[in-house]
Amino acid sequence: MKFSEIPMKIVEIGRKSGATDVAAKMVESRRVMVRFSNNEVTVSKIFREATIDVFVMVEKHRAATTISTLSMKNIKKAIENLVKAAKAAPPADIYAPLPQGPFTYSPALLKAPKMPLDPDTLTGYVEGAVKGALERGAERAAGTLNALRAKITLATSGDVYISQETAGLELSIRAFVSEFATGHFLSVAGRLEDFNPEEAGRMAGEIAKAADNPKPGEPGKYMALLGPMVFADLVNQVGSLSSAFLIDAGQSFLVDKIGADVASKKFTLVDDPTLAGSIGVRAFDDEGVPTRRKAVIENGVLKTYLHNSMTAKKFGVETTGNAGIIIPHPWNLIVEPGDKSLDDLISEINDGIYVTNDWYLRYQNYRTGDFSTLPRDGMFRIKRGEIVSSIRELRISDNMLRILQNIVDLSRFRTWVKWWEVEVPTLAPYALISELNFTKPTI
Amino acid sequence: MEDLVEFIVDSAGRMGAEYAEARLQADLHESLFLKNGIVEAFAFEEIRGVGIRVLVGGSLGFASTNSLRKRDVEGALKQAFKIARSASKLIKRKITMGRGELGVDRVEVKPRVNFANVDIESRASLLKESDEQVIDAASKFDVKAPARVAELDTWVTEKIVRTSDGAKIYSVIPRAAAFTLITLVHPQRGSIQRYINLGEVGGWEVVERWNLPKTLFEEATTLSRALVEAVKPPRGEMDIVLGPELVGIICHESCGHPSEADRILGREAAQAGETFLKPDSIGLKVGSKYVNVVDDPTLKGSFGFYLYDEEGVRARRRTLIKEGVVNEFLHNRETASIFEVESNGASRSVAYNREPIVRMANTFFLPGDYSKEELFEDIKEGIYMKSFMEWNIDDRRFNQRYVGLEAYRIENGELKGFVRNPVLEVTTFGLWSAVDAAGKDLEFQAAYCGKGDPMQGIPVWTGGPHIRLRKVIVGGV
Repeated sequence: MKFSEIPMKIVEIGRKSGATDVAAKMVESRRVMVRFSNNEVTVSKIFREATIDVFVMVEKHRAATTISTLSMKNIKKAIENLVKAAKAAPPADIYAPLPQGPFTYSPALLKAPKMPLDPDTLTGYVEGAVKGALERGAERAAGTLNALRAKITLATSGDVYISQETAGLELSIRAFVSEFATGHFLSVAGRLEDFNPEEAGRMAGEIAKAADNPKPGEPGKYMALLGPMVFADLVNQVGSLSSAFLIDAGQSFLVDKIGADVASKKFTLVDDPTLAGSIGVRAFDDEGVPTRRKAVIENGVLKTYLHNSMTAKKFGVETTGNAGIIIPHPWNLIVEPGDKSLDDLISEINDGIYVTNDWYLRYQNYRTGDFSTLPRDGMFRIKRGEIVSSIRELRISDNMLRILQNIVDLSRFRTWVKWWEVEVPTLAPYALISELNFTKPTI
Repeated sequence: MEDLVEFIVDSAGRMGAEYAEARLQADLHESLFLKNGIVEAFAFEEIRGVGIRVLVGGSLGFASTNSLRKRDVEGALKQAFKIARSASKLIKRKITMGRGELGVDRVEVKPRVNFANVDIESRASLLKESDEQVIDAASKFDVKAPARVAELDTWVTEKIVRTSDGAKIYSVIPRAAAFTLITLVHPQRGSIQRYINLGEVGGWEVVERWNLPKTLFEEATTLSRALVEAVKPPRGEMDIVLGPELVGIICHESCGHPSEADRILGREAAQAGETFLKPDSIGLKVGSKYVNVVDDPTLKGSFGFYLYDEEGVRARRRTLIKEGVVNEFLHNRETASIFEVESNGASRSVAYNREPIVRMANTFFLPGDYSKEELFEDIKEGIYMKSFMEWNIDDRRFNQRYVGLEAYRIENGELKGFVRNPVLEVTTFGLWSAVDAAGKDLEFQAAYCGKGDPMQGIPVWTGGPHIRLRKVIVGGV
């Protein structure tokens, strides 16, 4: 038996053992990571793995496992135990059989472009990125280069048997002019020709240089310009918390909001795993359903939650092709662009703040959307349409729905964001937000 | 198992590694997930493989594979060499492994009740009963509980760590953890949410001891009262008493993380960030003389328990802040070498395919000599923050915010009812300097600390006694 046929065999074993439904997803991956700080490589890592996620149902009874020891003897034993576990598990409230194929998938999405994984080339990219940052005035730079090649093979009892290759290059670089003057930028690409580590380094260096000698900022409500990294972080929240599973779990500010105006009319958020050449491309979801482009929010109106077949049945709708066998999730988030240049957006601000990056976003209440997050790296005061100074020490303390409603404008320029803080690939513009609340420490 | 790690370390030596380390690790997990009273899925998995680190020409290479066939392991070792050599052109200061008390030992925590003896039905009925208690408790206050999630995880980590300079540690550690997110809604008062995390080293007996139905009934009762009764908190300068849950997270965020030597050196600069502490900060006064914070992996039964780290170094208690002064950093052997000290055994990894890095274990504020009554008695006007939901801190570990969940107003030494979401937004120096007393009590909470790239969420405890802060400005809704 060929290695790639193991998922099919698992479906067969699962069915013979009494499962009504079986899905087996095998991921064979090779990932190389080069981490650097103080302009030096600190560690290089290589991960080579093949694992299989298996999900079975005996009607309403469900169980799941991940198999990492891939001998047929071990696999057979694991699947038999899995079906036994499912039979013993208390029933779920609904039974939605795995979607029945065969399905037709876009051939263009099944193949990934060639990506370099050899250490010398990857170390060279790091060297280029650091050089770019230093050229623009940084004293030192830190970051991560990630290169990934993987093959996903899915078989289900719904007559699905399909493979897709994925690949990506991600460079995240943070440049330091001083402890308080830093800049961060990224190059995230699903195709080699879109990868530009030196430019990411230069951008990070420029922000760091501009952020030199920051002064403590003053709390208050400001017209705020959010850079693509910040806006992508917020948009990730919107995309991820539109999962129907999290809606049902109360872990979202989008509960009971289908059809409602949840954002400014200027905001349209799409989940598009069919965008060839992007890093989040996926031809099929974890139930084998062909993926599709869908607007989550269109001109400010919440159009859909993200579904697999189980949540879809519960909500009385069709699956959106976003399985996650238990938890549906977005694949590839895209914010529709605005029509302004960055300079146009800055010129619209009479008295405001420009935030280039953030981290550590935490909710007081997911259901209301009250949260805070810390700006990091360059943060600037804007007065009368011009950047006038570098500031620090502020925190964004606001509400997610209010921020979405307060989107004033978006830039034409967009860039892909995916890094340590932003998990789902997101094509994000600059965003102008009115009345954004900033706080600061009291002692 | 033993043969394989010996083979790796011997082969690495023959290939010319200055240092090599092999870690064969298997994590056998079982999880049950309940949403709104319904079992969503039962899941089990064995995450098993080998992680290899080699030091070649002062450059560090890490490789992992989940195929334990000799030729695949040999392939991973060669890849680790290749990638380390390739990176050596971008290294100015050669990495070396510093001193540490290396062990040859076996550490086995034996459960009183083995997880294998607890079937799925028993686990599910425990979670269901606990879930019903939440609804029951809330209903007594005309509060609905429309969204509840609960997860019960048990797992056993078996591993063998072998280093080229003689450490050899075999360990088997069982852990149990429970997680819930409760959402309560009142038609006029809106909604309130709370995470509850429990986690310990041990067998099923620890889950039995938690008494989840009772615990969740009490939590939901308190949360319902907070939702229905809480009023706007007073604002301005006042005294604050913080409960162990707050004290624990503060110790973790604004003492533990800043004390990680790899952050001090900038190794995490592009991810979790750096720290306000510098290599020469030992002896720096950061707080009042009442502040004593330690990190201790050796606490029996603790969620962050271990006796030897992933580099084979014997673990010990680390006193991070002593009487308000920075006393010690957390080190692995790489940072120990740079700082010219001995490693204090802080190297941890969450799985075979993750690089060991400097981590906390159980970080807590040492108890003082005040009774709880004494902490409150001379407060004329203040706030008692017992639990929190929202929190965060900047990437220098200096500017932090904690928003109270279960919180009370204090008037003339007595609690005067719930207040809603008081905000403590302070600097690390400001916070530690305001402490003027610590209670005799000591409690811990379980958490998963996030750090590393790829991310490693690692089990820890955070904790402490009640502490009192004087003249702090409180914000709020």
